[in-house]
Amino acid sequence: MSEHTKDEHAPQGEQIPQSEPAPSGGPTQQGPTRELDRREFVRLIAGLGISAAAAGWVWSAFLAHNDPAEEVNGHGEGPYWVMVIDLEACIGCERCVYACQATNDTDSEHRWNILLTDEETFGQPVFITRPCMHCEHAPCVEVCPVAATYHREDGLVMMDYQRCIGCRYCMVACPYGVRVFNWDDREDETDNEMVPTWGTPEINRRPRGVAEKCTFCSQRIDLAYETGLRPGYDRAVTPACVNICPTEARRFGDLNDPESPVSRAMKGRQAVVLRENLGTHPRVYYLLPEAEEGEEA
Amino acid sequence: MSAAVQQQRKSFNLFSPFWFWIGFLGIVILIGLYATFLIMTKGLVVTNLTDLTPWGLWIILDLSCIGLGAGAFSISAITYILGQDQFKRLARVAVFIGILGYSGALMALFFDIGRPDRFWHGWVFWNVHSMLWEVTMCITLYFTVLTFEVFPMVVELPFLKRFTWLQNFAHRVHDYTPVLAIVGLGLSLLHQSSLGGTYGVVVGRAALFRATMPILFIVSAVAGGISFTVFITLVVQWIGKRTLVSNNALFAAGQISGAILLLYLYMRFWDTTAGNYGYVPGRSEAFTTLSSGTYAVTFWTWEIFLGGLLAAILLIRARFRQNILLLLIGSGLAAIGLVANRWHTTLLAFTEPLSENPPMTDPLVGSYTPAWTEWAITFMVISILAMIFSLGIKFLPAFRDMSEQTEAAH
Repeated sequence: MSEHTKDEHAPQGEQIPQSEPAPSGGPTQQGPTRELDRREFVRLIAGLGISAAAAGWVWSAFLAHNDPAEEVNGHGEGPYWVMVIDLEACIGCERCVYACQATNDTDSEHRWNILLTDEETFGQPVFITRPCMHCEHAPCVEVCPVAATYHREDGLVMMDYQRCIGCRYCMVACPYGVRVFNWDDREDETDNEMVPTWGTPEINRRPRGVAEKCTFCSQRIDLAYETGLRPGYDRAVTPACVNICPTEARRFGDLNDPESPVSRAMKGRQAVVLRENLGTHPRVYYLLPEAEEGEEA
Repeated sequence: MSAAVQQQRKSFNLFSPFWFWIGFLGIVILIGLYATFLIMTKGLVVTNLTDLTPWGLWIILDLSCIGLGAGAFSISAITYILGQDQFKRLARVAVFIGILGYSGALMALFFDIGRPDRFWHGWVFWNVHSMLWEVTMCITLYFTVLTFEVFPMVVELPFLKRFTWLQNFAHRVHDYTPVLAIVGLGLSLLHQSSLGGTYGVVVGRAALFRATMPILFIVSAVAGGISFTVFITLVVQWIGKRTLVSNNALFAAGQISGAILLLYLYMRFWDTTAGNYGYVPGRSEAFTTLSSGTYAVTFWTWEIFLGGLLAAILLIRARFRQNILLLLIGSGLAAIGLVANRWHTTLLAFTEPLSENPPMTDPLVGSYTPAWTEWAITFMVISILAMIFSLGIKFLPAFRDMSEQTEAAH
């Protein structure tokens, strides 16, 4: 042990009293039980203070995500965008899947919006189409190491493709499996078989090596903010999957507006969210089929 | 002195087994470089990773490298903070293994991320809420600590002797070894655990979502890391026919890691028992997969019986541990147990359907077998580490035979 170690051993010696008597040689003496001189004491306190401030800052930033009472964009101020999917009306035609693939120019193997079929729960096939849930407490947003996925001001969960490093922790964290990855280079190819039958691409293909997911067609919602059109009412600013649905099983709009298509669709129906127990507060509500289970109409 | 010079001359015989070994590693590295070329030009599409199994072999490599590198901080802390000077030489080996382990982890991550060109984003764009952010920061800082710890050993090389300013700086750095040990302990206590936390906070996957994950990770890393250091030291001594570390220090280190391994097995037992007490959706299925399904054979063999219980018995019981061969087997098994644990933990995460809540029954489950490119890069990383380690252990004066080197001034 050399003399340079004295700074670190001094505080230890102070905290853990040792049985040996302190050497009587004065403040420059070395040894485990030596007293601190003033300069060392000031340095120690300053070091502790700086560490505590840094730790406090990190801790408060950490907790900012965790307050259960604090919603990212609560019901009340501004629009509360939700999607409502009526499981009774859905016939499993997959048109929303195709329209999404065309509009957002996704790969057919890595779609943003997919169809899942439940054959058992209700005695007859129930078709569940699954976009991104745009959770208020989104696990993907919480885990992204570079904050490349984030809540924008209106609460939608967005991706910054220029920042994403492609670590795929968001894909591990997403409880709904909505996230897909750009395993391949697609930027220069024109191979989207859903174009032009089911729509035209409205956004650029994403670069190789980044994660992506459904955006609720955020480019259209942005257009709504610019033009004053209302998503859910005006087709130009409503997500492509909602527009194309032949049975009106999918609706989109502002839940804070009691007259919006989503508010009206939910009236009198039993709505569920997927994996509610996780506390993610999804913005996609599923309306349960009424007939078989005898729920109130 | 003349003996040392002769030793040095002898080692430059290019037809010795040593250089065949280096040549073999070089070939593995060349194959890996071809895979690297494919990954860099075509992207991760040449792996078997999918949207449903986004993490695979390279993450296991990363976790294993960091876990096995834990000997560096553990043995340094025992040596310099607890003042157990008999471990000084072992600590030197541990720190060398440590810096290589962390280099391997960084290499694995570099290949694994989809945008290696943006690896620096982790330092610039912060999300302090992310476990991976914490891991990134801690690993970077700890890698710096390890660099400072290894630096004095490297500048002892004969051809660097004439740079006096370098020597002076190295001496100053060397004097701060106990400080580095303290900083390294702090950083390791953070990131070894938060690597487990990386899995432990994934709320959507019940098999992983356990508050015990960080604790299990660090305790197993300390046991496996110390064992791995002992194991590698024994292998080097056996093949190189020289003495790096005194037997007593190896026995004592083996005993410590055995005790910690036993503690880990105890914690693991209660984590498994209490965590699967009733039916927990997702977790129970995953445990079935682990204990009687796809992973049953490797789980029971390598993680529990050989890498866990047998290793603990061999290391704890003095009569076994003080037999060099049994110490070699015991410490090697403990290290294998750690790798098996990281393997199972990572892959188990993705065998569990994401859709166990009422409406959905289509299981979104991935299946995964690593592609040859993934194996090639994994073996390339391991070979690079083995090559640097072999060269370092042969030529660095810090690792000279104990009989040749008197412990001067350290």
